[in-house]
Amino acid sequence: MTGVESLPSMRSWYKQSFNNVEGYRHHRRITVHRIITWVLIAIIMVIQVYPLLWLFITSVRTEHDFAAGDPFGIPQQFTLDNYARAFESGNLGRYILNSVIVTFGSNFFIVILGMMAAYALQVLRFKGGKIIRMIFMMGIIVPVQISLVPLFIDYSQVGLLDTYWSMIIPLAGFSIPMSVFLFSSFYQYIPSETYEAASIDGAGPYRIFAQITLPLSLNTIVTVVLVNSIFIWNEFIFANTFVLTDDLKTIPLGLQNYIGAMGNTDWTATFAAVCVTITPLMLVFLVLNKAMIQGLEGGATKG
Amino acid sequence: MLPYRSKKSVLIFLLPPLLFYGLGVLMPVIQSLFLSFFEWDGISDMQFVGLGNYAKMFAGDAVFWQAFGNSMIYMMICLVLQLGGALLVATLLMQLTRGREVIKTLYLLPAVISTVAIGFLFQRIYSMDPVGLLNRLLQVVGLGDLARPWLSDTHTVLAAVSVPEGWRFSGLYMLIIYAAFMSILAEIEEAAKLDGVNEWQLFAKIRFPYIRPVWITTVVMAVTYALRGFDIPYLLSNGRHGQLVTTYMYRTAFTNTNYGYASAMSVFIVVECLVAVGLIFGLMKRKVDE
Repeated sequence: MTGVESLPSMRSWYKQSFNNVEGYRHHRRITVHRIITWVLIAIIMVIQVYPLLWLFITSVRTEHDFAAGDPFGIPQQFTLDNYARAFESGNLGRYILNSVIVTFGSNFFIVILGMMAAYALQVLRFKGGKIIRMIFMMGIIVPVQISLVPLFIDYSQVGLLDTYWSMIIPLAGFSIPMSVFLFSSFYQYIPSETYEAASIDGAGPYRIFAQITLPLSLNTIVTVVLVNSIFIWNEFIFANTFVLTDDLKTIPLGLQNYIGAMGNTDWTATFAAVCVTITPLMLVFLVLNKAMIQGLEGGATKG
Repeated sequence: MLPYRSKKSVLIFLLPPLLFYGLGVLMPVIQSLFLSFFEWDGISDMQFVGLGNYAKMFAGDAVFWQAFGNSMIYMMICLVLQLGGALLVATLLMQLTRGREVIKTLYLLPAVISTVAIGFLFQRIYSMDPVGLLNRLLQVVGLGDLARPWLSDTHTVLAAVSVPEGWRFSGLYMLIIYAAFMSILAEIEEAAKLDGVNEWQLFAKIRFPYIRPVWITTVVMAVTYALRGFDIPYLLSNGRHGQLVTTYMYRTAFTNTNYGYASAMSVFIVVECLVAVGLIFGLMKRKVDE
């Protein structure tokens, strides 16, 4: 926002420069400076974006072209065969469905439980609340690796190994702290008069939660869901540890099936599969990037 | 605070999240601590070995120390790429009058792609046969002698598995630093510019000191993420030259089924993160006080 506001003042500053005797030379230095800036930005953008573009280009190359041709070259022929093979040889639809289930399931618990804890800590308040809050916040820096061995053992004892729950429980558990944090920093700003007025009208804590706090939280819910979805959709380590059968594999695991055991991998089909699986999230990101970027910025700078 | 609330209502709201968090995070942490004092392969009886696993880790396991050294190098490469790249791009963005939003979005794009997909992509970037992007690029600019299979060369594998992680998340830190730059009042910068301050001075004397609190947050994030970095090194390398503490721990647990020793290592990773956070706050806070 500050950037937009500072535009007029920048312009008047340029005008001032021209009015000065040295203004012209000053202006030329600025032009050179701007060219260097843009060249640097262009190089950095190529490094960030070209590999992804290359992924898409390769997915429409013929196998022969991929094996023999220049990797930088433009494909001689455009083909969608790779996509057909990607769907034939793997269980791609199944992997996508599993990822959708795990992403929705985890998000459901992250949002509901995060809101409930934040409501108890920030709105209801109670003795010992500070300690409970600290216990939650500790979770932000706990590395996920520590839970792998114990959860694997626990799951195999209670029969949760190789289920959707085996992924949803730790995914939600490790994301709840950030969710509690984001919701309670938002609840700080709901004026207490709102609650007092509702209380006088006879509303209890449950009705107040359902009719006041929940509807007001919508924006924060969107932020929490967007940010977590990126991580959960792409999550690898829990799925790789707790999922054993092909039927439950999420996208990141399923993609690995495309790597041939004998070293002869069908790379163009693999890249087609990769493109199919990254496109949904990439489209959501490109359409909603404002909300997502705000969420990422907010989540981090407040922490 | 709500006037009409009962103990019961507090519990109803608090217990479910605590239960979930307890099951998914707290209980496993305690179990890991417990397991780290035992030797156990998951089948035969557990054997209490006291601090045996820790003694083995610190005194008797050269592979662990190599993995630890690798983790430190991995962290340095990630920090330079992520935070250096983030500072550079955020600074460049500040000088643009248009196109900021598009560039922010494109720079962040790798962050939405799964590590498995990135692993595949970099396998092809580093490959020798068929010639991958990096080796081809080296040939084109006349440095063909440097071309090599980056992931199987023991001298380059560690750097090769570190770079993708740096590349992937630089955008996230750039966003945070850029947002902090934007919160600096325009008047301050304009006054400095009128005083004839150049871009470097503007950065070193005004912007960077101003965003110090945010900088500490980003350093903490980047360091702790790098210390628990796992996916890309695990997916791209098998041998001990590209192995980190995290991947060594994982293979100890799930390939060699040595649960006790693996738990000791996972406790080490947690302690390592806590020590790193403590050090960062200690060092950087003190500088502010001076």
